[in-house]
Amino acid sequence: MAIVRRSLLLIALALYTSFAAGPFVWAAMMSLRTTTEIHRNHFAFPNPAHWDKFSDAWFKSNYAVYFANSVQVVVVAVLILTVVGAMAAHCLARYKFRFNRVIYFILFSTIIFPPQITIISLFQILVQYGLYNSKLGLTLVYVAIQLPLTIYILESFFARIPADLFDAARMDGYSDWEIFWRVALPIALPAVATTVILNFILLWNEFLYAVVLITEEANRTLPLGIQRFLGDTQEDVGMIATGLMIAIIPVIVVYAFFSERLIQGMTAGAVK
Amino acid sequence: MAVVTIDKLTKVYDRGHAPAADNVSLDIADGEFMVLLGPSGCGKTTTLRMVAGLESITSGTVSIDGRVVNQVPAKDRDIAMVFQSYALYPHMSVKDNLAFGLKRRSVERAEIERRVANVAGILGLAEFLSRKPHALSGGQRQRVALGRAIVRDPKVFLFDEPLSNLDAALRVSTRGEISALHRRLGATMIYVTHDQVEAMTMGTRICIMNGGRVAQVGPPLDVYRRPANTFVASFLGNPPMTLLAAVATDRSGGRCLKVGDSEIELPPGRCPPLRPGSQVTFGIRPEHVAQSAAANGAMIPVEAEIVRVEPLGAETIVIARLPGVEKLVFARLPGDAAFAMGERRQLFLDCGMAHVFDGDGGALGAGDT
Repeated sequence: MAIVRRSLLLIALALYTSFAAGPFVWAAMMSLRTTTEIHRNHFAFPNPAHWDKFSDAWFKSNYAVYFANSVQVVVVAVLILTVVGAMAAHCLARYKFRFNRVIYFILFSTIIFPPQITIISLFQILVQYGLYNSKLGLTLVYVAIQLPLTIYILESFFARIPADLFDAARMDGYSDWEIFWRVALPIALPAVATTVILNFILLWNEFLYAVVLITEEANRTLPLGIQRFLGDTQEDVGMIATGLMIAIIPVIVVYAFFSERLIQGMTAGAVK
Repeated sequence: MAVVTIDKLTKVYDRGHAPAADNVSLDIADGEFMVLLGPSGCGKTTTLRMVAGLESITSGTVSIDGRVVNQVPAKDRDIAMVFQSYALYPHMSVKDNLAFGLKRRSVERAEIERRVANVAGILGLAEFLSRKPHALSGGQRQRVALGRAIVRDPKVFLFDEPLSNLDAALRVSTRGEISALHRRLGATMIYVTHDQVEAMTMGTRICIMNGGRVAQVGPPLDVYRRPANTFVASFLGNPPMTLLAAVATDRSGGRCLKVGDSEIELPPGRCPPLRPGSQVTFGIRPEHVAQSAAANGAMIPVEAEIVRVEPLGAETIVIARLPGVEKLVFARLPGDAAFAMGERRQLFLDCGMAHVFDGDGGALGAGDT
């Protein structure tokens, strides 16, 4: 009976895995095939495997620049989001002050606005401040759009840290600033890691703000680079797949690092 | 050496609401173990937190060695505190937890090592120094919390219900450890608890609080034997003192009370002559109710209906009702006492040990009128 149940479970898991990983594997196969080969047979194995497509994309199709731009914009944005978001969340969760909940509500309520509503005015603001078509402008927009969610996730975690810990640290002689860095933040690391992963993946794939706010070739990010292979009448499917694979690698690295090593290591010592 | 003086300390959280601590005044001598005891919400923890510097003071002063510290931040008061939840830093090892306060105070690394090793030796934590708090048992965590206070060698130790998260057996042993620690260090300690056994066994003096105010301060046995008011009388002791409404009669020179249908005559030492007709409260502890008249003492026989019998082995708690009285009387009798529910029996009140309180609940001593 146990064997049957186990087999059923394994079959279900195998089906789900192929359902979830199927598109990824398909894109990975296409990334090693030319568009002509793909048109001939959509699902064939890469034979021969065109590894040179990766170097073509990187060097000839300007992917090195897009990749560097994406890294620059997203890493800086995630860094600012994490530090500012954690500080704001800690403050809102820990300190009693007038309008605490009002500020929290205003911050959080911005989530309800779909990007289409704000994007034109954002475009106008960036043009006026000379930030249109700049990586700095895009970074600031990314910070602004992701900050409410980051604060929301972190605030609920910071609020669960017992107040006695902060009192104990105060008795031990630490200032509020030191308590944030040496007590609150290390304890909240699992939640911080979650927001890092979430923000990184969301911003790494972000297309709408980037396509509106960046037009210059030198400042394009990866999603815009991939779009370049989409013509009006023809699509270079093979190169799109290669571009996608290049774009996915950092996401997998970030996910693997933060989810496995960091979360597992840190939740062991976290608040009970 | 540290003398802590609390003078008219008041804390108001919300204007319009009753103060959490109301005019609390208390002198704590150097090396004294002062226990703040009271029910939940009586203001004992608020008072402690004001002494610690974790809570702002609405009015009044806290002084340590004669220096008013109202405006001195917690970290500069040279006080260590043990929290109810232990408040160990979960991301640090036991060793780092112990050393965290010393590092901030720029103590030299070798000195930190020496002090941590010393404290770990005293508390039996040496083998756990590299563990994180989650890998320790409740008792071990409690000892780390104690160690974190001891390692700083502060002027004053504060304890906020440190044993309430431990199981019964561990509580007894840790109680002994803290008392031993007090004798060994000779430091001034202020200890908050709602557990009267802790207060009675550990305190040099206890301060009973109620509704934000100090109800009585004194050595534990003095407070137990001479409660200043009905609150203290009913709070200390388990089962509590029985308090019954009584009226003074004109017999026996104003020392005869009518409790329900019974008349109880008090010996001269227990109560001043009362004006006939005055409303008072008669109090008697369970251990002063007996099943037979002792040869000595002023034992008054009363008819009682046995309502409940709780045999505990070493002793039997009998709960009875006196004729014409709604409230129940508790009696602590020997373990072999044979009583049955519903039967009518004679019980004997040792009126030489009884208490009388005036209409406002204040104790009437022999000298009062």
